[in-house]
Amino acid sequence: MTDPLLQIVGLCKSFGALRATDDLSFDIERGHIHALIGPNGAGKTTVVNQLTGDLAPDAGAIRFKDRDITRLKPHQRARLGIARSYQITHIFENLTVAENMGLALCARAGHNFRFFRHWRRASLVKNDLDAALERVDLLPRADLTACHLSHGEKRQLEVGMTLVGQPELLILDEPMAGMGPGGTVELTRLIRRLKGQVTILLVEHDMDVVFSLADRVTVLVYGANIATGTPAEIRNNRDVREAYLGDNGDA
Amino acid sequence: MLLILEQLLNGLQLGITLFLMSAGLTLVFGIMQVINLAHGSFYMIGAYVGATVAGHTGSFPLAVGAGVAAAMVTGCLVEFLVLRHLYAREHLDQVLATFGLIMFFNELTRVIWGRQPLFVEVPGPLARSIELLPGLPYPAYRLAVIAVGLLVAAGLWFIFARTRLGMQIRAGAVNREMIGALGVNIKLLYTLVFGLGAMLAGLAGIMAGPILAVESGMGESILILTFVVIVIGGIGSIRGAVAGALLVGMVDTLGRAFLPTILKLFLAASTADGVAASLSSMAIYILMAIVLVVKPRGLFPAHA
Amino acid sequence: MPSRKHLTLGGGLFLLLLLPPAATLAGEPYLISLASRMLIYGLAAASLDLLLGYGAMISLGHAAFVGVGAYVVGICHFHNFESQPLFAWPFLLPGSENGLVVLPAAVLVAALAAFVIGALSLRTTGMHFIMITLAFAQMLFYFFVSLEKYGGDDGLTMYARTKLPGLDLGDKTQFYYLCLAALVLFLFLAARLVHSRFGLIIRGAGNNDRRIRGLGVASSRYKLVTFVIAGGTAGLAGALLANQTEYVSPGLMHWTLSGELMVMVLLGGLGTLYGPVLGAVVFLLLEETLAMYTEHWMLYMGPFLVVSVIFFKNGLLGLLTGRKARDD
Repeated sequence: MTDPLLQIVGLCKSFGALRATDDLSFDIERGHIHALIGPNGAGKTTVVNQLTGDLAPDAGAIRFKDRDITRLKPHQRARLGIARSYQITHIFENLTVAENMGLALCARAGHNFRFFRHWRRASLVKNDLDAALERVDLLPRADLTACHLSHGEKRQLEVGMTLVGQPELLILDEPMAGMGPGGTVELTRLIRRLKGQVTILLVEHDMDVVFSLADRVTVLVYGANIATGTPAEIRNNRDVREAYLGDNGDA
Repeated sequence: MLLILEQLLNGLQLGITLFLMSAGLTLVFGIMQVINLAHGSFYMIGAYVGATVAGHTGSFPLAVGAGVAAAMVTGCLVEFLVLRHLYAREHLDQVLATFGLIMFFNELTRVIWGRQPLFVEVPGPLARSIELLPGLPYPAYRLAVIAVGLLVAAGLWFIFARTRLGMQIRAGAVNREMIGALGVNIKLLYTLVFGLGAMLAGLAGIMAGPILAVESGMGESILILTFVVIVIGGIGSIRGAVAGALLVGMVDTLGRAFLPTILKLFLAASTADGVAASLSSMAIYILMAIVLVVKPRGLFPAHA
Repeated sequence: MPSRKHLTLGGGLFLLLLLPPAATLAGEPYLISLASRMLIYGLAAASLDLLLGYGAMISLGHAAFVGVGAYVVGICHFHNFESQPLFAWPFLLPGSENGLVVLPAAVLVAALAAFVIGALSLRTTGMHFIMITLAFAQMLFYFFVSLEKYGGDDGLTMYARTKLPGLDLGDKTQFYYLCLAALVLFLFLAARLVHSRFGLIIRGAGNNDRRIRGLGVASSRYKLVTFVIAGGTAGLAGALLANQTEYVSPGLMHWTLSGELMVMVLLGGLGTLYGPVLGAVVFLLLEETLAMYTEHWMLYMGPFLVVSVIFFKNGLLGLLTGRKARDD
C-alpha cells in the first residue's frame, strides 16, 4: 500500500465559474488498475488532460515516481512513461495490422532513414513485432488491413501500439465507448491480462467493467473525490450510492 | 511620378480581375472543401460568349449579359453533373476530374471558335482616353473595368454583411457542420455559391476580352494566378481574396514595369534586362513563398 | 507458385525486352521511339506515384522537375557546342556532353529544385499543397521562358545526344534499352523503398499524418526526402526525354504535363509503382490512336477522365492483377 506511482495532491481547475476539478487528491499504486468513475460532467476528462499535460491545473501538484511533473509538457511526460489511449481510435486504416505495430516500433527510434531493407527484417522490429501483436491478441490478424478489423480489435491495436512505448502508467480514457458487448468482453480480458505489466488508470462509465477489473476506485462528483476504496468498499459507501449509483441505478 | 500612377492603375485593374476570379473560388474551396481546376474555364467561356455576342450585335452590355449567363449556366451544370459526386472524395479525384473538364472545355472552344484568337473591340463610348491628371491620359475602358470591379466588390460586401444568404455562406466557410445545423438546404447553397463564383469568373473573362486576346487555354494562366491569390489570402476568406488580389496585381505589374530600371542602377544594361525579366516573371511566386514562410495558412485564414 | 502479380510483371518485362527486335522484324522501327517515350513517361509517372500513392502528397507540379532535368542536359550541351563556359565564377565550369556528368547533374539539380519547392510547399497540406506545387512549377515555367539566352519560349535544339561510354544514344535500340534499364532499376529501388522502415513511415504519414506525429515521428522530414527522391527521378526522366526529342523547351514543364502525369498514375493504379508505367503506356497509346482519327482528341479524353474518376477507382493494374489499389 505504500508504493504510489502517481500522486495527485489538491488539484484544482476552474473554467470561469465552473470548478471542474475541486481540490482533488488520490494516489495510484504501482501495478494497480485504478478506476476513475463519475456521472457525466463530473470532470473525468479534465482530470485526464491535466495528468497528460494537455491542460494546466490552477493549483495543486502531480507527482509521478516521486517527481513533480505538474509543470511538464505532454511530450516530456510521455517520455517519463505516461501514455494515453484516446476515446477515438487513431490507427492507420490503410496499413496492415503488422505494419501499424511496426510503425509504433519504428517510432521508438530517433530516425528511420533506412531505405533498403524490408522493415520487417529491421533489428528494431524483428524481435519485438510478434510479441507486441501477441500481447493484444492480434497475431492471427497480422496481415489484415486495419480497416477490416472490428471496432474492438481496432481499440486493441491502439492499446497495443501505445504499449510499445513501454509506459509505466497507461491511461485508458473510456476504452469501452461505442463498443458492442462482444468487444467489451474482449477488451476486458485484454486489460486484465495487462495487469502486472503496467499500471492502468481506467476512466470508464461501464460499472460492470470497473467493478470486475479495478483494484481501487475513485468516485468523482462535480470535480471532487467523494470516495476512494476497493470495489467492495465503493459499492457499500452510502455517499456514493446517493450521489452516483442511486441516480444511475441502471448504469 | 505619372508613370508610377499609371502603373498603379494597371496593377489595380489586374488586381480587380483577380479578385473577381478568386472571390468565388475561395468560397468554393472554403465551403465545399473541393478543389476545382475548371474555374478558369468559366472565365474562358465568359470571354468567348461575350466576344461572339459583341461581334454579332455590336452591343457590349448585351455581351456582358450573355457571357455572365453562359458562365453561370456552365458552372451550375458542372456542379450538378460532376463536382456533386466528388465532395466526399479525396482531393486527388477532384483534381483529376476537373483536369478532365479543362481538357474538354479548351478543346470545345477550339472546335467551336477555331484555333485563331478572337479580338474584341473596346465598346464605342469607352474607346478613348480620359485625362486623369494633366499629362496622364488613361484608357476609359480600363477605368470602367476598375469601376465595375469596385461595384461588384461592394455588392459582394453587401450580400455577405447584410443578407441571410451571405450569413449562411460565411458560416459555411468558417465551419461546414454549422450550416447543416442551421437547417440550410446545403445542396442548393452549394449550387448557388458555385454558380455565383462561375458568374464572377465569366464577368472577369468578358472584361478581359478587349484587353487580352480571347483564346483557348486563357483560363489556366489566370487560374494559376488566382491560386497564388488564394494561397496568399487564405482559403475561404473574402478579405483575403481582396488583399491577395491587390498584392498580386500590384507586385506583378510594378515588377514588370520598374524592375529593369531599378536593376540598371546596379548592373550592366544587358545583364539587368535579363535578370529583370526573370525576376519580374517570378515576383509573385516569390511573394507567395515569403507569405508561406511567415503565415503558412495565408494572411487572413477563414478557418480558425 | 508465382502470384498473378508476378506473372503480369514478368510477362510485361519479357515483352519489353523483345520489343526492339520484334519491331525491327515487323519493319516498324518507329515503334521503338514511341516505346522509349512511353518508358520515359512511365519513369516520371512512377516517381510521381511515390508522392501521390504512398505519401498522399498531391503535387500538381511534377513536370517542373522533368523540365529542369531536360534543361540541365540541354544547357550543358549548348555550352559545350558553343565552347563557352557554363559560368566562370567562382570557378570555371565548361559545358559537357558526357553522360557520366550531365545525367547525374540533371538528377541533382532537379533534386535541389525539389528540395527548395518541397521545403516550402510541405509547410502546408491539402488544397494548399496542390495549389502551391502548381504555382511553383509555373514559376519555373516562366523562369525558363524568360531565359532569352536559351531560346526563351522557343527552347533549345540539341545538336548531339549525350555521350555514354560504350553506348550510342543516337541508336534507337540502344537508347530504348537505356531507358528500360533506368526504369527497371528505379522500380526495383522504389519497391524496396516503400517496404523499408522509411517507406513504412511515409505510408503511415500518407494514411494518417496526425497519428504519425502523435507517435513522435517528425513526418515532414520524411515527406521532404520523398519529394526530393521523386523530383530527382523526374529529372532523370527529363534528361532522357531531352535526348529522345533532341530539343528542350519550357513546354516540358507546362502544368498540363503535370496533370497528364497524374492521369497516368491514376489510370494505372495509385500506390502500385508498376501501374503508373502501364498508365503511361495506355495514355500515350490512347493519345496516338485518338489523334489519328481526330485532332480534337481531348474532347473525348476529358469526359473519359471525368467518368473514370467517378466510376472506376482501382486503375488498370487493378483490373489485370485483381489487386485493389486502395483499400477504402
